Amino acid sequence: MSEKNFIIAGFGGQGVLLAGEVLANAFMLAGKNVTWYPCYGAEMRGGTVNCEIVMNDEPVSAVNKKEADFVIALNQASFNKFVSKIKKGGLMIVNSSLAKEIKTRSDINYLFAPITKLAENLGNIKMTNILALGLLAKASKLVSVDSLSHALDTVIPPHRKNLLPLNLKALQIGYEYDLQPV
Amino acid sequence: MTECLVKNNKKVLIKGNYAIAQAAIKAGCECYFGYPITPQSEIGEYMSGKMQELHRAYVSAESELAAINMVVGACSTGAKAMTSSSSCAVALMQEALSYATSDELPVVLVSVMRAGPGLGNIYPSQGDYNQATVGGGNGDYKLIVLSPSTVQECIDLTYKTFYLAHKYRNPAVLLADGLLGQMMEPVEFTDYPYPAIDHSDWALTGAKGRPARKIRSYAPLEGPQCEHVKNLFNKYKLLEENEVMYEEFDVEDADIVVTCFGSLARNVKSAIKTCRAKGLKVGFFRPITLFPFPNRRLAEIAGMTKKILVTEVNMGQMLRDVKLAVNGKVPVSFYGKPVGAWPNVDDIVEAIEKELN
Repeated sequence: MSEKNFIIAGFGGQGVLLAGEVLANAFMLAGKNVTWYPCYGAEMRGGTVNCEIVMNDEPVSAVNKKEADFVIALNQASFNKFVSKIKKGGLMIVNSSLAKEIKTRSDINYLFAPITKLAENLGNIKMTNILALGLLAKASKLVSVDSLSHALDTVIPPHRKNLLPLNLKALQIGYEYDLQPV
Repeated sequence: MTECLVKNNKKVLIKGNYAIAQAAIKAGCECYFGYPITPQSEIGEYMSGKMQELHRAYVSAESELAAINMVVGACSTGAKAMTSSSSCAVALMQEALSYATSDELPVVLVSVMRAGPGLGNIYPSQGDYNQATVGGGNGDYKLIVLSPSTVQECIDLTYKTFYLAHKYRNPAVLLADGLLGQMMEPVEFTDYPYPAIDHSDWALTGAKGRPARKIRSYAPLEGPQCEHVKNLFNKYKLLEENEVMYEEFDVEDADIVVTCFGSLARNVKSAIKTCRAKGLKVGFFRPITLFPFPNRRLAEIAGMTKKILVTEVNMGQMLRDVKLAVNGKVPVSFYGKPVGAWPNVDDIVEAIEKELN
């Protein structure tokens, strides 16, 4: 399989880096080569933050790719920043709770879902990031819920293990969200 | 897509900085002294917990100056000691590195490069090649410098840095960069593969039952000082004969060989693959030890190829060493940028194609 790369972007505090870490671990557990690279400002909360995950059967060479196959934009600023970076035919997953449902390019695919709202319905807004991974798993077919669940178990530290069931549920809700063909 | 979860996967996904810290622990590092600075703070953070847990020494120093001098002190007892820092803070350590070289102490420094000069910013860069290999301390001295390009190499070369520092009793630098420090990659932790070095014949361990020893970087007469520096350079000659490391491929038939160091090699390798797929004859050469520099091999390569392109994330620092090694045999050109996102694969391919036209 050729190399695939993913950008997850949002506000600081939305769990962007953690989501990337879970995704990267899932690829590793599935026997892939992978890199995770973060980009963030000096802010503790509220600044823009993103990470790039590159997955390949071969050793991953370059980081800082010019283009991305998949982007998850958890807010409007991230949509604006990365929509031009998506490869032709690539996918933009948009959190429509915090971004407009406007298609600014006609040569890429879009998936709009009210991810923050879905997380709130689940009872914890902090599940936004993991819910988005569920959507990505379904839409990309490149990573399974099984791998992501294992990855969550790996990444969540022992003293936070009480949050694992809710995270797994968020993953499931994301995966089962009715994908609107757009 | 069907997936098989790797059973008993020994790999862990880990940041370069944590990989370096854990490797240092496995290498037997007994003392860590440091002062935080982005993009390497995770090393000190990890050490602050783990060293205490293992009943080893950890001091959060009051400054970089203090940290490196604490390492000098610990090393004079023969202990495995280290510090880690970044660019503008490594600048503050230069005096102690010169002293440690003269004192023949096995100081280990992890330098994770960020942007400069001056305070610069926290974006990754390779602007401290000269700082590490040429140095800012006084006198005739050299540091052993190793340059990793993957997180796995961060582990393997941390081991090697400790080993070489102790084997040759000379300060050794692991020269990583902000990109490697911050990125995560799956790695496997092997055990520290090198033998222990006996320091019992020189280390300051308390003079009980033996005459007192002195470690000093001062010889009051011309003759002994001359002798001392010559001895240091005999050591450097041994390093050049025995410890050179490099990575290369596709150089035999290459019209152009691209050289680079550190994590930029990742993008360069991709670019060379792209060029080869286009039918262009491009080779790859990466010094892993920046000192001792692979002069001999580069000179051989200069005899096989028509041109050499040096790529760096600085304005051309390793360029000078490559030119010295090539010694005018073939033209040497440069492509780079000073700071920030590494040149992407397309940019490097373009630079190579420009050189071939």
